[in-house]
Amino acid sequence: MAGVLDRSVLLVTGKGGVGKSTVAASLARRAQADGKRVLLIEFESVSRVAPLFGLQEAPLEPIQLEKGLDLMGFDLLDALHGFAGDQLKVRALAKLALSNKVVRGFFLAMPAIRSILFLYHLQQLEATHGPRGDRRWDLIVCDMPTSGFVAGLYGVPAMVRQIFRVGPLAEVAESMAQLLFDPLRLGVVLVTLPEEMPVVETIELRHELRRRHGVEVAAIVVNGLYPELVDGDELAALSAVVDEPGMSSEDRNAAEQLLWAAEVMRGRAARARRVLPDLEHVAGETLVALPHLFRRKLHLDSIDALAARWRPDQRSAALRPAPRTSAVGVRP
Amino acid sequence: MSADRLLESVDRARLLVAVGSGGVGKTTTAAALALLAARRGRKTLVLTIDPARRLLQALGLDGADCVANTPLPVLPRLHQQLLAGDSNAAYSLVAPEATALDAMMLDPALGAEQMVERLLPNPALREEVLGNRIYRALLPALGASPDLVALELLAELHRRNQYELIVLDTPPTHNTAEFLQAGQTFAHFINEQVLKWFAKVPARDESSRPGFFSRGSVAAMGVLGRLFGSEVLPDIAQFFRSFRDVMPAMRARSEATDALLRSPATRFIAVTAPGETSLREARHMLALLQREGLPFAGFVVNRVLMLPQSLGDEARVQAVAASLVARLQHSGMEQQAAAHLAERLCDGASKLRDLDQADAAHVRSLRALVGRTSFLSIVPQLEHDIHTLPQLCDLGARMVQGCDAAAVSAPGPASSAGPTEAGAGAR
Repeated sequence: MAGVLDRSVLLVTGKGGVGKSTVAASLARRAQADGKRVLLIEFESVSRVAPLFGLQEAPLEPIQLEKGLDLMGFDLLDALHGFAGDQLKVRALAKLALSNKVVRGFFLAMPAIRSILFLYHLQQLEATHGPRGDRRWDLIVCDMPTSGFVAGLYGVPAMVRQIFRVGPLAEVAESMAQLLFDPLRLGVVLVTLPEEMPVVETIELRHELRRRHGVEVAAIVVNGLYPELVDGDELAALSAVVDEPGMSSEDRNAAEQLLWAAEVMRGRAARARRVLPDLEHVAGETLVALPHLFRRKLHLDSIDALAARWRPDQRSAALRPAPRTSAVGVRP
Repeated sequence: MSADRLLESVDRARLLVAVGSGGVGKTTTAAALALLAARRGRKTLVLTIDPARRLLQALGLDGADCVANTPLPVLPRLHQQLLAGDSNAAYSLVAPEATALDAMMLDPALGAEQMVERLLPNPALREEVLGNRIYRALLPALGASPDLVALELLAELHRRNQYELIVLDTPPTHNTAEFLQAGQTFAHFINEQVLKWFAKVPARDESSRPGFFSRGSVAAMGVLGRLFGSEVLPDIAQFFRSFRDVMPAMRARSEATDALLRSPATRFIAVTAPGETSLREARHMLALLQREGLPFAGFVVNRVLMLPQSLGDEARVQAVAASLVARLQHSGMEQQAAAHLAERLCDGASKLRDLDQADAAHVRSLRALVGRTSFLSIVPQLEHDIHTLPQLCDLGARMVQGCDAAAVSAPGPASSAGPTEAGAGAR
């Protein structure tokens, strides 16, 4: 067993609106607080973390936000320029080639190009050295798009190798596979809400990653748990009181509204409680439950409150050596 | 009235496109709009992408008889569900003028294959493409990005002209712009210019091809060779050459799809939900639609808390909680326990109030964006997943009602947090 934060790359994903960015930021802040050098990569075009540090956008090159915490965004065209420059050995040649609209359009329209370029840059960033010759970042946390995209990443090395059996791209595919399928280097963190369907879909995705690609999810995060405030018995007693005579209709109305609020809170907490056992069953100790923040906006203090919940020894899925056959992402 | 503007779209549009970021209830909204249209007498198809299983159940798309990318009738199922239940009142859900609603689930991988088959009517050519190593490797990637496949299928359904209205749910894609441009993007991948580069690459079984090499194509080949490796260039060239004869047909289809999206009979409905990201997405979306000249109909805002008004006033909540637990004390509850319960009641109300204030601000920003010709529909947070058609009917009705609520009440910070007006009821 090893900690979630002991890997060098974490891909944080889940369905839309489950709080991926919040969870990714909390992981980065936790590792930073533990004294690690962390890079947070935001995949979406609009940065959520940059504004918390007084920036407009996540920059295309890593920028230091605070000691131990760097931030960068992912831009498809920029990534393409970087990739072409590396492959052609001459940046200027790549720039010239990509200045042609047809050439640029062709590459940007290639199926799975986003996945290919992301993986390419990720493995390069992971291998980047700092001034003292050691790795520049201890941990790279990626705030990823929806889970379908992340599941798709695992098929990319196989696809690239199928097309380019030999040559420079086949080699790139090999190093992508080495990163993706090495549980000591890269972990997937699935984020879900404590509701029935998101939970079912998370369990299915975990199963699919395991069955099709031999990948164990590093952690499952259930986000937005409602606190247990007023229980059913108390609510029943309170409702009985409201029905008693001797209350003005205005007061009764307000009392009913208050009980409505209590019932909403209780109902949501109870629904979460019903789905948690299923998650615990599959995720065991790798399940992390985070409370609802009752905010619709991301704030640094709430991220740090969540970060404090990640224990440094946070258990993670059993680490298995990457099976040989999985290097290209095809498992029998 | 805002509701009229929503109903105008439902009654007159030929195509409704539900756009929005992931997790805002886009698929459910599309299904509810389609059902609403069908109940108002229009022959409707809803094309759903990546629906939750409960919604599939509601639409009857979860059974063994369901074939992906094939329309399946829904309304007979509604009758069945109503007959099975004992709720007579539910009969009113099926309006006498209700006609047909078909639903269809997109399978992108299958759709990608069907698309190529439609594009390549010539069997020999089709064999060539389907057997191509590059094509086979790319197929999963095409299937994994439903944008192009969904647009293609939409164009095909529109061409068949079997429905008065098609409601299109859009994929949980990176952004709406990418979805709308998927057709053009594909045309960047396979086009005459790209073919020209590869036309000069010798096929595997010939050492050279006659003809002159222009300086440009030599340079292009040099670049391609260094990027892809010169060994695979012949295979890649072969893949692109397979498409040479269908290029005009592909372009025609791409243009037809684009024209359909821009048609005055098309309406885009932006689906959103409270939250910083969704709001920003909604803004971007509206700007994009306006920039592209695409017809915007209105916003549907799902999952709004809609806190009863008295809960907006903290002092009032505390007084109500105190009076409730005082009555419990009369019937024997200990004072300390009662005080603790009152505290927890107030805590819950205060947490919901925080959300409500954020939601109200969100709705205000959206209202500022909505012009006179578009609608804003506020739909409350549902406490349960939708898994039956009557629930979906109910959601459609709420969307219509939600427009009125949006037009009438404009909860500002003063009215929601200020002193409570007498007799304020649940909204």
